[in-house]
Amino acid sequence: MIFLGLTLVLFASLYSFLQVGMAEKTTQPPAQNLHRQVSVDSTKCIASKEFMRANHMRVLNEWRNSSVREGNRIFIAPNGSKLEKSLNTCLGCHKNNKLFCFNCHMYANVKPKCWNCHISAMESP
Amino acid sequence: MIENALKGNRNYWIWISFLILVIASGISAYSQQRWFGLTVTGMGRDVSWGLYIAQFTFLVGVAASAVMVVLPYYLHNYKAFGKIVIIGEFLAVSATLMCLLFILTDMGRPDRVLNVMLYPSPHSMVFWDVMVLNGYFIINLVSGWTVLGAERKGIPPPRWVKPVIYLSIPWAVSIHTVTAFLYAGLPGRHLWLTAVLAPRFLASAFAAGTSLLILLTLILKKTTGFDAGSEAREKLAILATYAGATNFFLIGTEFFTAFYSNIPSHMHSLQYLFFGLEGHSNLVPWMWFSLLIGLVAVLVLLIPALRTSSKWLPAACAGLVISIWIDKGVGLILGGFVPSPLEEIFEYSPTLIEITITLGIWAIGALLLTMLLKVAVAVKTQE
Amino acid sequence: MMNEERRAFIKKSGLGVLACLGAASGLIPKFSLEKTVLPAWDEKPVPGKIRWGMLIDTRKCIEGCTECVAQCHHVHNVPDFNNRKEEVKWIWKSSYNKVFPTASQQFQSEKITGRSYLALCNHCAESPCTRVCPTEATFKRWDGIVAMDYHRCIGCRFCMAACPYGSRSFNWQDPRTAIKNPSLAYPTREQGVVEKCNFCSDRLVKGLLPACVEACPQKVMTFGDLNDPKSDIRGLLENNETMQRKPELGTKPSVFYII
Repeated sequence: MIFLGLTLVLFASLYSFLQVGMAEKTTQPPAQNLHRQVSVDSTKCIASKEFMRANHMRVLNEWRNSSVREGNRIFIAPNGSKLEKSLNTCLGCHKNNKLFCFNCHMYANVKPKCWNCHISAMESP
Repeated sequence: MIENALKGNRNYWIWISFLILVIASGISAYSQQRWFGLTVTGMGRDVSWGLYIAQFTFLVGVAASAVMVVLPYYLHNYKAFGKIVIIGEFLAVSATLMCLLFILTDMGRPDRVLNVMLYPSPHSMVFWDVMVLNGYFIINLVSGWTVLGAERKGIPPPRWVKPVIYLSIPWAVSIHTVTAFLYAGLPGRHLWLTAVLAPRFLASAFAAGTSLLILLTLILKKTTGFDAGSEAREKLAILATYAGATNFFLIGTEFFTAFYSNIPSHMHSLQYLFFGLEGHSNLVPWMWFSLLIGLVAVLVLLIPALRTSSKWLPAACAGLVISIWIDKGVGLILGGFVPSPLEEIFEYSPTLIEITITLGIWAIGALLLTMLLKVAVAVKTQE
Repeated sequence: MMNEERRAFIKKSGLGVLACLGAASGLIPKFSLEKTVLPAWDEKPVPGKIRWGMLIDTRKCIEGCTECVAQCHHVHNVPDFNNRKEEVKWIWKSSYNKVFPTASQQFQSEKITGRSYLALCNHCAESPCTRVCPTEATFKRWDGIVAMDYHRCIGCRFCMAACPYGSRSFNWQDPRTAIKNPSLAYPTREQGVVEKCNFCSDRLVKGLLPACVEACPQKVMTFGDLNDPKSDIRGLLENNETMQRKPELGTKPSVFYII
């Protein structure tokens, strides 16, 4: 009886992990033609594509604290241009892709709450 | 020790099932509130705190009142309280849990509650309130449980428990003072902007809390046969009497300052509560009922023959509890928002969802208290 | 059944693991679950630093005109729930006895009591609301603006209780459904946070005047740096009799009125 109970507990606790394992095999990264293929010049971005992919969360958090709490809204990009520390800056270049943030977040199953307040590319004309 | 809470007779399980039913409906109502927002309550832009904060204010007092039994027993070796201390401590634990739950349900973004600890703000009274309430919960739970455990094994409690218990004494006073400071420092709310609020809170806490404790011992005597002792009850009744008398005296002083000074901002809230203001008088019957039943209760308790009577004591205690519940909850919290800073009057009444959630949290507190007391009684009556 | 020694060992090792995790999260940066940001202590306006302020010449205000309100509420996506109880308003017009309840009401001239007066957040120098916020979601900025960080607000509404002017509103439900004509350049708020006028800090940083100041057809409002003795607003304050809302409370508002 004890072994049966232990097996059930083990299965119940590992269930969610088993699920994830199975899911990874059946879903694929989003198809590349879901958005209009307008290549965005990443030299004009605030940082390189690789850096942004890994660190955009930290960049956004720092921008948020800086612009909301310190009133410092000006960001000086590596190439010297002045940008506003705002999600609108990102969307300014990336707005052609309606699924700009949602693409990867849906795949990675991350649900940031930005869009509860901020207006996303999907909601802009 | 906890296994004692899982054993009981038929009446015990009927009570537990009833509580679970109330809790379940409370949770279901809370899910409505989480989805639709606090719009499902009766609160609005002008009366922005309502039933939840009112319950919190009352229950912090009940939690603080444990000091009334802990102080005499542990600091002054008053042996007559030997059987009642654990009941007082567990009542404090249960009341503190309810306080924390009421704060949580009142928040617009409970998912962000940890922000209070991630971004500590020592200038904010709510920050301190959250800290001291959590601390008080842990202190009382740990010390009560440890002492009980030691008693069960028939050995003296470990040495570290004593300083923790001593700590709980000033801590109890601090939780209710901090809660009073939440209100007493706000420049725009003249019903609350009085130095006498903290002493009034403590007086009403000691009156209501000790009355509740007396009632609890009588209930325990009826349901389990465990009697905390009539001497303990008598002493508590005397404490409740004088705490209650002090509370009404302080209410009297509030009236004097407001109406003798004739300053409109001081008078308006009391006028709204007791006489109605500009035609709005929802709360007037409540306040007079509270005042009368409270004064009668204190008078009854002042008479020794009635205070020791098994009929009059519980009635007076219940009356005092109800009176202070209305005064602190309904009167103080809602009255503080009327009139609004722009001298407008909006009245508040709770919605069904709000009441269901409130009852659900009371049931959670009652469930915790039942389980803890079941354990306490089992240990105290073991052979 | 376990013996007592084994039980004690498990208890101690469990505590040990917790202690190690706690120490690791504190000492080794990679392990920290959340980077805590030291709270920005309330910054009081300081001479030499900018202190934004507004002067409202109520004599020029047109009765029935609400251009400032309409523009502010449009530009900032302020919801309209059509429901007095859950109203969200950043700026509004009200009567003399409501905006200045502690000023003398006796035998006031009809000219004064007949007018409507603008009410908005006063961005007090000694603001009670920032004093009570448990998370510093509302805080005093270096430029004198009482700012709101909607990301941090837990919706406890303590600031609403503390404000002596009734300037703050709460989102009792999701505001998105109640925004008639949204502006895409500015975010909305979400259910469960408190909001209020922000002196258009987003516009100030671009060198623009606040929306209400710009929208007013009569130029009723003058906006500027109270700490700059040569500013327009200081000139007007010097040359006119002005009053403030509830000055006896010591909040030192940044909004002045010419009656």
